[in-house]
This record gives sequence, structure tokens and C-alpha cells, in this order.
Amino acid sequence: MLPDFYLPVLDPFGEEAKKIVGRAPPLDSMPGDVVEMAVSRLRWKAGESVVDRSPEAVEREVLSFYLMAQATASVSHPYSREVQFVAEKTRDTIKYRLYHLFRSGEADFCLKAITPSMKILTLEELSKALDVKFSEQDIRRIRELRLRKDGLREIDDHLLPQYTPLWAVRWQDLTQLLAHGRIQLTDLHLCRGWAVVCMRDIWDLYSELVAVKTERYIQGVFEKLQDQGEPHQLLLMVGERISRMVPKIPAISTSARWAAGSLDPECFPPCIVSTMNGVGHGLRNFAIVMLLTPFLSYARIAPSGKASAKISDFVKDISVVTKEIFPLIAEAAERCNPPLFQAQPQEKANVFYHMGFGMTVEPRLEESGRSKWYMVPNCSKIRASAPQLCKPDEICKNVKNPLTYYFLRRREKFRGGKRDNAGGNTGGKA
Amino acid sequence: MREATPEERRRFYAEEWRKEDIPSFLLHSLSMREFGFDLDGTGPNHRYLQFITAEDLANFLRIKAPYSAFTSVCLYQNPRQRDGWLKAELVFDIDAKDLPVKPCGCPKGSVCETCIMEAKRLAMEISDVLRSDFGFKEIHFVYSGRGFHVRITDEPAMLLGASERDQMIGYVVGGVVPSDFTITFGYSRVFRNRVADMLEKISDNEIRDAVKSRRVLAKIMAEKKRIADSLKSGKIDEVIRPGEIGPGTVQKLLSFIAKMNFQLTDGKVTVDTKRILRFPSSLHSGVSRKCMVIRNIEKFHPDDAMPRFLREAVG
Repeated sequence: MLPDFYLPVLDPFGEEAKKIVGRAPPLDSMPGDVVEMAVSRLRWKAGESVVDRSPEAVEREVLSFYLMAQATASVSHPYSREVQFVAEKTRDTIKYRLYHLFRSGEADFCLKAITPSMKILTLEELSKALDVKFSEQDIRRIRELRLRKDGLREIDDHLLPQYTPLWAVRWQDLTQLLAHGRIQLTDLHLCRGWAVVCMRDIWDLYSELVAVKTERYIQGVFEKLQDQGEPHQLLLMVGERISRMVPKIPAISTSARWAAGSLDPECFPPCIVSTMNGVGHGLRNFAIVMLLTPFLSYARIAPSGKASAKISDFVKDISVVTKEIFPLIAEAAERCNPPLFQAQPQEKANVFYHMGFGMTVEPRLEESGRSKWYMVPNCSKIRASAPQLCKPDEICKNVKNPLTYYFLRRREKFRGGKRDNAGGNTGGKA
Repeated sequence: MREATPEERRRFYAEEWRKEDIPSFLLHSLSMREFGFDLDGTGPNHRYLQFITAEDLANFLRIKAPYSAFTSVCLYQNPRQRDGWLKAELVFDIDAKDLPVKPCGCPKGSVCETCIMEAKRLAMEISDVLRSDFGFKEIHFVYSGRGFHVRITDEPAMLLGASERDQMIGYVVGGVVPSDFTITFGYSRVFRNRVADMLEKISDNEIRDAVKSRRVLAKIMAEKKRIADSLKSGKIDEVIRPGEIGPGTVQKLLSFIAKMNFQLTDGKVTVDTKRILRFPSSLHSGVSRKCMVIRNIEKFHPDDAMPRFLREAVG
């Protein structure tokens, strides 16, 4: 079995890795190859992530990992695409290394690295401990399901051990993955607190766990950096290089996005305008979750014709929620003081809960209806819960709900627009 | 079921209520919980209260004789400020009046003894899943007056966040169609049992949204028992009848029932880690029943929760 000094290759947050971090050089004298590796590790393809079996190589690996994470925290906020990118690349690296070590006959070493984070038993041990017998048929069926997940129909003897459920992991060690929506509880095969898994599952679960820990570590560094002021130049430089590596998504300008999403901010009522500009502590949860979330979702989707409405009844593409509505909510949350999702990341899931997707941060259309799609509160409720938001204008006097205000103004604007286009003899816009 | 009078409330707390009735899982953490009271039937407006000892609580209850008493499912470092959240019980709330399908024919919002016994059966089944699949051991049943609370105090359960609790709901009620229907343990089994159970009780009116064709609907209703048995035993292929009940219909039916299963419990209660729940041992004045911990759920009957003033009144 490989010596303990190699453990950080699989567990960058373990005791061995901490020892290396403890004797790390100051950032000013960080070796150049470590700096390069902090960036290049995000480009690694499969075999490139394998670390030489020497203490020096392991040290470079650990230092570059932490430099990558801290640099990301210095230029990006938690939950940003940069953080997601770094976490996913870390997951892929760890998974490949597990696969590589397993194939090199180091299965025991892999388990040694994993067990501090995830308690593992062989299925035989579990059967004895619980006094239960798992039938051949069940084992075969679980194997078939796992093969299907990887798109395989048949396998050779060589791959068979990786897909045969011969292990069990404690489900309570997987709660972080549930919290981040990285696994679904109903996909696990649970028996008295243990999930029956194959070696492939263990690789997946553990590498996801390291990804979650990486996200959390970056969040912790980010928060610390907020108190400390300007981050070190090296962190900023590496962070910007990492940021440039994140795959680009087509940029949508604010004005274009309004048009694409058919939301018209000119027609928003004063309370929504105030919320969009960000609100202070004490008002944030109500303003963002209870008011803005239903307002934007109902205004954008404009449901009608169904008594019991759920979003999937009206849209066939989840991107309406994830790419049009949610980014606006996230922007408003970010403008709050302090930013809502940074202080209370669980509120992100609460936003989707209020749109009817249950507590999740990764909504899927087929899950629409798991919770209630909350209505926009009436003006009286807003006045009672958040009087600071209520600064009524002329139109407010005639409506009892912000949504009514919005649709009313849109209709008036549309009519006015038609009149303008038609031209007239009574004047018009200046 | 009728409302208790102020005099009956006073009698209950003066003569019948004993601090020994407070369940030990609450007694041990009493001072770390937030208490809330509805003093006059207008709602739990007196919140953020803390009691250091059971004696303090007893004095309060005897003096105020509240309409309703509640306590938080979570423990705080400072319950008066709801500050320093430490952990929260995992709770499933089964309200007999809100069951999605009522074999007794009670309209939604109403409760009869059959509804309550149905809710009890569901509470027991949820508890079975929590034991057999999750390995929980500290599971407490509380009769709330119109339904049941299943409260889990195992340490790993108490540390779960809202997202994990939300996933727990889907699991225990069978709210997600699984990728397999044959495995004899775990979620596959839970789902089959839940779907079969729901299917046996559902009426053609309730199922109409999932099955549009009248002919197919009639066939399903006529063969409900056979379909439920096939599903329960993992033989989903036997449900399909070429030309009559196709695979698409089965899939639609399963998805429909899975969604319906989410109504078996009140999900808001489970995901809310700061919720206040009716305090076991207190009086539910709205229905004149004791909210009480159930020692033996199998033998429990709603009459066990009848306060003395009501027993005497009915003779």
C-alpha cells in the first residue's frame, strides 16, 4: 500500500495535507512551478492529474490546490461560475485519481483516504452487523442500474468489480451532497442507515464530497478576505487567470434580457423597484423571497387558465426560471446589505421553493409542483410586513397587489405605444 | 369535537395536566426551546418565551390556561431571541383533515374517526421507513388533536438542513418515481407500497386528471386491486395490458400518484427548522383534545386523548 504522505492526493482537506499547508512558504516566495500548477490544474485531462509518488510532488500538488482555491476566492464570490468551475474540475481530478489508483491495485489505499469522510463497510460486514441478507437478484439489479447510468449494457470481467455493489456507505455521511443537490436520496438503495453501493459509486460520492468541501473552503476564504481588505497580488493575479479560463456563456445585456424575458422594468411598482435596488438587514428575506420571487415569476410567466398553477404548466424550458428569473433575483439579493445569499445561502433554495420546485438549488421542470408556487402578497401584507418598501404612487391607489400594478401599467403602455405609432393630432411624446 | 370553554381550560391545567406528562425528549431540552402561546384563540401571538424549568412552565400554564401551547422543534442557545440555532427535530406532520384521499368520504378539511385512524396508519408506515431505511431509533409519535406528528430525535436527523429534509419527504411518502420497481429494499419498496396503497383508495374522480380516456379509466378502476398487487410485488410488466393499459398510461399514473403522495404530509412543517409545534401534554382547545405523546401507537385510539372535563360531560 502507498505511504501516508500520498494521502493528500485524494484528500486535500485531510491531516496530511494540513501538515503541508502548515509549512507552506509565504505567498511572496511561492515557487513559480506551484503558481503555474494552480492554473494549469484546471486544464488537466485524465492522466495529467496523476501525481508522482514522491513527497515533493505531493507538496506541490497540495500547495497548488490551495493557491487555486484562495485565488478563486480573491476574485469571485461564492456560488459564482468560477467557484463552480473550480469545484467541478477538482471533482474530476479526484475521481480520475481514484480510478487510476484502484486500477493500480491500490484499492485499500483509496479506502484509507476516503474513510475519514465517509464510513464504508463491505456488504458482507453490513449483512453480519445488521443480520440481513441481500438477495442475488437485488445485487444484480443494482448492478444493472449502475451500468445503465453509465450507458453500458454489458461489461467484461475486467470492469465487473467496479460495478458490483459489494460495499455500503453510511447515508448520514452523504448529507452534504444532499444539501447541495449533488445526489438524490431516492436514488440510493438504503438499508438501516446504509446505502448499498459499488466502487464506481464510491468514487462518484467521494469526489463530489471533495468538490463540496472545496466550495465551502472558497466561501470561508472569501469571507475572511472581506474583513482583511485587498487580497495579496499573487492571489489576484492567479485568480484573474483562473477567471479567464471559465467557459463563457453568451453575454446578455440588461436591456436585451428584459426584452427576451418580456419583463418590463418600467412597469414595476415602487415596492419592486426598491427591492431590485437591494434592501437592508431585517427586510431582505421578505423582500427577496416572499415578494420579488413570486412577483418576477408571475410577471414573467403570466399564468392564466388553470386553477392550480405550477410553472411547468406554462413553460416548457427550465431556462426561463434559471436564466431569466433567478439571475434577477440573485442580482437583487446581491445588492442587499449584507448580500442575502452570502449571509444565508439556504435562501437560494427557498427562492425555488417559493416557485414550486421544493427546496432545491437545481430546479427541474418535472419537479414543478413539489411545493406551492407562492402568490405575490397583497399591498396590505407588504405594508404590514415591510412598511419601508411601500411608497405608493398614483397607480398604487387603484390596485391591491403589485402584480395588478404591473399588468395594468403594461397594458396602458401598450395602448399608449399603439397610439404613438398611429400618430394623432393631440400631441404625444415630446 | 367542540371548542373548550375558558373554564374548561382552567380546569384542565389546574386538575388534569401534570408536568410528568411532558415527554422526556422535550423535558431534557426544555430550556433551549422557544415557547409560543395562543392565550385566547386568536393565534400564537405570544412567542419568544423561554422556561428554564418544568415548574416555571407549570406555573405559567396554570395561571394563563392558554387556548393553545407550542414549542419549537429546534434548540437554541438563546431561545428568547431565537438566536444560536443548534439543531432541530425531524418532523412529519400528518393532518387527518388534509389527507389527499379519504376512503370515509369526508370532504377535505373535515375529520372523522376513520380519517384519524387512517392518519395513524400512515404515521406508523412512515415510522417503519425511517427505521428500516434510515436506521433511526428515537422516533416519537404525538397525537396533535387532529392528526399525528412523527418526531425524530436521533442526532443525525437533528442536524439535517432544509434541503435534506425536503428530500426526506419525497422518500418517505413515495413522491418520486424510481428508476426500478423490483428491488426488495430501499426506496423501490417504499414507492411500490405507497403507490399501491394510494391506488387502492383513490376514486375515479381523483384519477381523471391522469387518465383522460374513459375506457382506460374504467379498466383501471375495475382492476385497481390487481394493479395494486402487481405494483406491490414489483411486477410492473403485469400491470400493462396491450390495447387497454399501455406503458405510457402506467407511467402517467405513477407520476400522478407520486405527486399526490406529497400531500400525505405537510411539507412546510418538515422543512422549517424553526417551526413551533403543538406542545405535547397541552390542550388543543379548538377540538377539546389532549395533544399527547403516544406510548403504544398500535393500541392508540383518539378517545385516549379526551380530557377529563369532556369525559364527564359525555358521561
